[in-house]
Amino acid sequence: MADLITAIKKVLEHTDLVLGWTTATSTGVAAPARFYTADEAEAAVFDSTCVHNLAVHLPRLKDKDVGIVAKPCDAQSVVELVVEREVARGKVKVIAAPCRAMLDVKLIWRRFGYGARIEDEGGRLQVNGREVPREDFILRKCLSCESTDPVIVDEQVEGDGHTGGPPDVGGRTDDLKERFAAMSVDERRAFWAEQFSRCIRCYACRDVCPMCFCRDVCLMQTRVPHWTGGSVESRDSEMAQMIRVSHLAGRCTGCGECERACPVGIPLLLLMNEQYRLIEEMFDYRPGSDIEARPPMQTFSIETDLWEGG
Amino acid sequence: MSDLKLIGFLCNWCSYAGADMAGTSRMKQPSGLRIIRLPCTGRVNPLLIQKAFQEGADGVLVSGCHPGDCHYNEGNYYARRRLELLKRMLPAWGIDPQRFHYTWVSASEGARWAEVVAEFQARIEALGKLEMGYPGGDVVSQVS
Repeated sequence: MADLITAIKKVLEHTDLVLGWTTATSTGVAAPARFYTADEAEAAVFDSTCVHNLAVHLPRLKDKDVGIVAKPCDAQSVVELVVEREVARGKVKVIAAPCRAMLDVKLIWRRFGYGARIEDEGGRLQVNGREVPREDFILRKCLSCESTDPVIVDEQVEGDGHTGGPPDVGGRTDDLKERFAAMSVDERRAFWAEQFSRCIRCYACRDVCPMCFCRDVCLMQTRVPHWTGGSVESRDSEMAQMIRVSHLAGRCTGCGECERACPVGIPLLLLMNEQYRLIEEMFDYRPGSDIEARPPMQTFSIETDLWEGG
Repeated sequence: MSDLKLIGFLCNWCSYAGADMAGTSRMKQPSGLRIIRLPCTGRVNPLLIQKAFQEGADGVLVSGCHPGDCHYNEGNYYARRRLELLKRMLPAWGIDPQRFHYTWVSASEGARWAEVVAEFQARIEALGKLEMGYPGGDVVSQVS
């Protein structure tokens, strides 16, 4: 156990750079940063506005030895990247940071004004110096967090918060998830047809996803074969998302970056969570939980795959 | 004949031959199914099924060799995982999973093929047309 800056400095002795966070000068909340030297590492922070999953950078830093500050959910992405052979275990050092459920910064700023000062100490949230109920501003994905202890840890950062297991969310539940679960099939059809009519095809959902590493050959953008058009019609946008969701089967760890990055607020995590649940139900597999695993969609079992097609 | 659109993705080696046998044996079967022949069910990208629904299909049937009998030894084992996952995902997408069926029919099972088609046709007729609900209607745009 060490404090964050000491841990980063220690890892920097054996790596080219460390991916972490620093305080953004413009807004005062955490922004991703790369630390190459011990001096630079002095500016590192870790707080409950460190929402980003920095594992997305790893496949593009294959030629480097990289350290990464990771929440339990981010660490799962690192594991799955190793499983998918996108990242060599020997080339990455995980600096595990404890998480007390991240804050929905956009939500706070919508309520209290852009750039409102956020202080979160010992489970008490203050905005512009006034205490507000922390549980009201927790990021949606954290309400149904199922992250377990990271299976690869090279340095553990001290601090309060969970290293694995669900964080304390003050008893709040995910209203949207419950409402979606209660919908009929027809209601869900109307729900998605409406949701995707807002999609602007910016591909942020793909670009922030650590497991979307096809990059230049992504089917969402390829027009030959013509799986989907580039229009912003609900039909085309939904097919693009169907492509993304199906390509993440058995690989998505449910980090929720797709939904967080979406500029028009499409609740993509509803789909990712459901697929994650099905993968566990069908194959007893939780992406990001076993570094020796064989991804379930890349194999089969004659003995246990006994479904009949319904 | 109803205006329902049923699409069948059939593997070349078993189910397509089975369907052929049902035909040459003059077995009675509904005529609503449009068959697309593929080399193997392992070729069936689950997206083909979702795409079919988007482009106006009311039901999609996938049929291949029985497990253990795949012409390519293991194509249908991979297919089974993908197809089963899709079937379970369809409700989340707002598509009744009853509209998608996958099964195994061998080249010698002409009679069974006729049954499979009749059952599937009846099931989709009971469900009626699929409305995808896109703003501006379900009209399929022209693809190049």
